[in-house]
Formats: sequence, C-alpha cells, structure tokens
Amino acid sequence: MEGLIPRIAITSLGKTWQGRRGDVEALRDINLAIGPGEFVAVVGPSGCGKSTLLSVVAGFATPTSGKVLVDGLSVDGPSPERGVMFQDYALFPWRTVADNIGFGPLARGVKRAERLEITQRLVALVGLDGFQDRYPHELSGGMRQRCALARMLANDPAVWLMDEPLAALDPQTRIVMQDELLRIWGDERPADQRRAVLFVTHGIDEAVHLSDRVVVLARRPGRVRAVIEVDLPRPRSALRSSPEAARLVAEIWALIRDEAVDAIREENG
Amino acid sequence: MRRDRWIAITTVVCIVLLWQVAISANGLHAKVPSPLGIVAAIAAHVADGSLPSALRDSFLRVAKGFAIAALIGLPVGTAMGMTPILARAVAPFLDALRSIAPIAWIPIAVLWLGVRGDAAVFIVTYAAVLPLALSAHQAVRLIDQRLLQASHALGAGWFLTLRAVIIPGSIPVLITAVRVSMGFAWGAVIAAELAVGVKIGPGQGSQGIGQMMIETLYVRRDVDTLAMCMLCVGLVSLAIDAGARGLGRRLAPWKV
Ligand SMILES: Nc1ncnc2c1ncn2[C@@H]1O[C@H](COP(=O)(O)OP(=O)(O)OP(=O)(O)O)[C@@H](O)[C@H]1O
Ligand SMILES: [Mg+2]
Repeated sequence: MEGLIPRIAITSLGKTWQGRRGDVEALRDINLAIGPGEFVAVVGPSGCGKSTLLSVVAGFATPTSGKVLVDGLSVDGPSPERGVMFQDYALFPWRTVADNIGFGPLARGVKRAERLEITQRLVALVGLDGFQDRYPHELSGGMRQRCALARMLANDPAVWLMDEPLAALDPQTRIVMQDELLRIWGDERPADQRRAVLFVTHGIDEAVHLSDRVVVLARRPGRVRAVIEVDLPRPRSALRSSPEAARLVAEIWALIRDEAVDAIREENG
Repeated sequence: MRRDRWIAITTVVCIVLLWQVAISANGLHAKVPSPLGIVAAIAAHVADGSLPSALRDSFLRVAKGFAIAALIGLPVGTAMGMTPILARAVAPFLDALRSIAPIAWIPIAVLWLGVRGDAAVFIVTYAAVLPLALSAHQAVRLIDQRLLQASHALGAGWFLTLRAVIIPGSIPVLITAVRVSMGFAWGAVIAAELAVGVKIGPGQGSQGIGQMMIETLYVRRDVDTLAMCMLCVGLVSLAIDAGARGLGRRLAPWKV
C-alpha cells in the first residue's frame, strides 16, 4: 500500500451506542487504511462491531471518537460515492428490478435515456436479463442479491461497503456469487480498474478467497486483533481450496475461535 | 366450499320465510318490519327515486368529508413520522381530540354551519381525520430503516425519499386505515344526518339516508322503510370496504 493515498482512512475510531439499557462500546481505537483498488474483508465473532464499522463509514452513524476520511474528506452522512449493500438487500419492494437498479441514477438526476442505458448494462452484467419487470418478491434469493449489487453499481461508487452480502444464500449459490462478485469487481483486470471494497463476512474462507487483506476484529469492545495479508495471485476462481488458502483460513480461525465460542454462549444466555 | 355456501343460503332463506310467516300470523306490522314489506318499500322508493337520491347524497357527503380529512390527516401524519419533534408536539393534542366522539361535535357543528348538510360533512371530516393522521404517523414509523438508509446512500434527498420510499412504504398500512376510517365516516354521516333533523323549509335538512330515516320515523312512521334504510346503510358499508380493498390491491401490487 506504500505510496498510495488511501481511499478510506479510519483513525482512532471509537463508537459507543447509547441504548435504553445503557451504553454499548461497539468499537474502540480502530485504525485502518484501504487503498483505491483494495478488497478488504472484515471478520470477527458475532457482536464485535462489524456492522457498526460499516455504518460509520457509510455515514449512517456518527463516530463517538476518531474520524473516517474518504478521499481525504470527513464523512458526514451517506453519499452516492459510497455504495452500500445490505445482508437482507433492502430492495424497494414496490419497485421493479429495473426501477430498483435505476434508483441511484434517478436520485442523481441522470436523464431518462441514460438511466435506461445504465440499467440495461447492469441487468446484463449481473445476469438478470428478462427479469427487469419483476418485483423483488418474485425473485429467488440469488437474483435479489444480484439486483442489490446492480443497484449499488449503478452509481459507480468509488467505495463498496458490503455487510454480509452473501450470507443469506445457499452454499452453492454463494460460491457462484463469490466468483461473480470478483469478476464484476475486476479480479481479472489490472488493479487500477478496481474499486475499494470493505466487505463484512462471517465466512473466513470467503474472506480469504475474495480479499487482499483480512481484518480480524475482537469483541467487547470491537478492536483490530490482527490484519492478515492474503498474498494469493488473481484471478482467484481457480484457487479455491489451495493449500495456501487453507493455511490462512486456519490461522484466522485460531484467532477467532475462543471469542466465537464465548459469543455463542452469551447469545444462548 | 360449495356445500358451505348452499347451507348458508338455505339457512337465510328459511329464516326470512319464518320471519314473514310469524309477522303475518301475529299482526305486528306496525312495529316490526317484514321481508315482503321491505321489498315493497325498496320498490316504492327506488321507483320514485328517493332512495337512490338519499344514498347518493349521503355518499357524496362522506366522499367530500373524507377527501378533506385525507388532505389534512395524511400530510400531517406523514410529517409527524418524518420529524419526531413535530410528532412530540402534536401527538398529545391529537390524542386528546380523539377522546371526544364525533357525534359530540354535532351541536357545535350545527351552531357553526346551521341545519344543513355542511354540519354532517364537518362531522365526517372530524371522524376520519384523526385515525388517518395517526395511521399515517404509524405507517412512516413502521418503514424498514434499511430502506431509508438505502435511499440516502443511493443519493436521494428528502423529497425523492418521501415520494419513492416513504409514501409507497406507507400504503399497506394506509389502506387499512382508509378502510377503518371510511367505516367511521359512514357511521358518522348517518348519525349527523339523523341529528341535524327534519327538513323545515327549502334548502334545509340534510337530504341523506339519515334524513330519510328521521322523516320516516316522525312523519310517516313506516317501519318497513326504516328497515330498508338500515339494510342500505349496511350494504353501502360493505361496498365501501370492498372498494377500499380493491384499491389496495391496485395500489400495492407488490403485496400479494
Ligand atoms: N443501532 C444500535 N443501537 C444500539 N446498539 C447497537 C446498535 N447497533 C449495534 N449495537 C450494538 O453494538 C454491538 C456491535 O453490533 P454490530 O451489529 O456492529 O455487530 P456485528 O459484528 O455486526 O455482529 P453480527 O456478526 O451478529 O452481525 C452489539 O453489542 C450491538 O448490540
Ligand atoms: Mg452485523
């Protein structure tokens, strides 16, 4: 990363949620820089603040301390420059696939003809041809996921913020979508044509397969426990289950295991 | 299903027949309506045009009062949902008003607007506006926060978010609210027309179905016509409800 200006610069970030049952310190002293074409995955036990981190970078929540800069500017509120993809997709149920995808351009005041063109290109890119006029409830889980991805891409944001975007899919669809996501991100293209991605996931193998770096968070409060470089060559789709990847997965799992067990115990009372 | 329907129809027919026989045998005609009497009353009042005209007057009054209520209540409720400060300021006032039944306003309405249909329209508006405002408020609060976040993250300002997320997201709740408050409004118009009283001179009286009932009661004392009016009030209620539900299906095709 040396020599590159980070696209996202998170410094001494802390976030404490104020709830009815007292305050919850979700994040403490997070430092992280993400380069322009870098794919960074965030893993950690349940409740360690992954979604909180994403919310702050997206501008949905304000930091309690520290700051988040995107392209050198302090984040204050959401912006179409930072695309967001939610686990449950948050598609607009009353808009068709095409109208969901076209929403970002519509919001930015793009003319109708150009909007149509953008929508059509994205429909083809994510493989939803023929489904433009369906409503989200008429789609399978995988198709909804594609639609949400296309909706985010329609603004061509410089930063992709993704909170467990593949978690709701069945295992086979998930594998297909991982490679699909890499293809769209630009796995096969030179690094300077890619976007910065902050990708939250529960799947350690998914994190290793997709990313350039894996940030491992510890919980209570959420802190950076380790940052693991993933030095596997791209494109990655052929590399699934390589011994090197397996070694990284084991290394990360060893960092999380104890806390993950604690988290599950707590959740079960 | 088919068999159930036949059982229901048979039951109704039997009851109506028994009812007719009982009344014919007893000579209770003056106080209890009879099926044949109701049929005759309907035939007479449809023939001279008075029933359709009374129903039309009442219905138009409900439509007018309801439209005013919607124009006030829906924006106020939506604004309350979008600005919590406004909600905190206005909600106690609306709750207080809600504890006063619409018909309790009739004397004041008559004082302000006279013994005319306008007083009934006022009562209808009052009956519908509070449930509409409170439901619109509730509807906005029930919208999935993620959808609002998605809208903002995609670059939408407050107006597009209102038009493309908040309003469509409110529709399912609002359809129910419309059905309920249309029911209130229809009930209120009958009460108001009854209370506004008998036509004294030209241009006075309310001319609706409630008016027809009060006239029948005090002037003609015809129990079959009263029953006919009640029957029609019920049928219009059902029709309004079915209409609102149909509208809901049209407006919210994503909700199957
Ligand atoms: N809006 C909020 N208000 C109050 N507390 C919150 C809010 N969002 C999250 N928290 C709390 O902050 C902590 C971190 O939550 P967060 O959702 O960021 O964890 P996570 O790592 O995404 O968990 P998971 O893996 O289960 O999705 C939790 O204790 C949670 O209860
Ligand atoms: Mg989460």
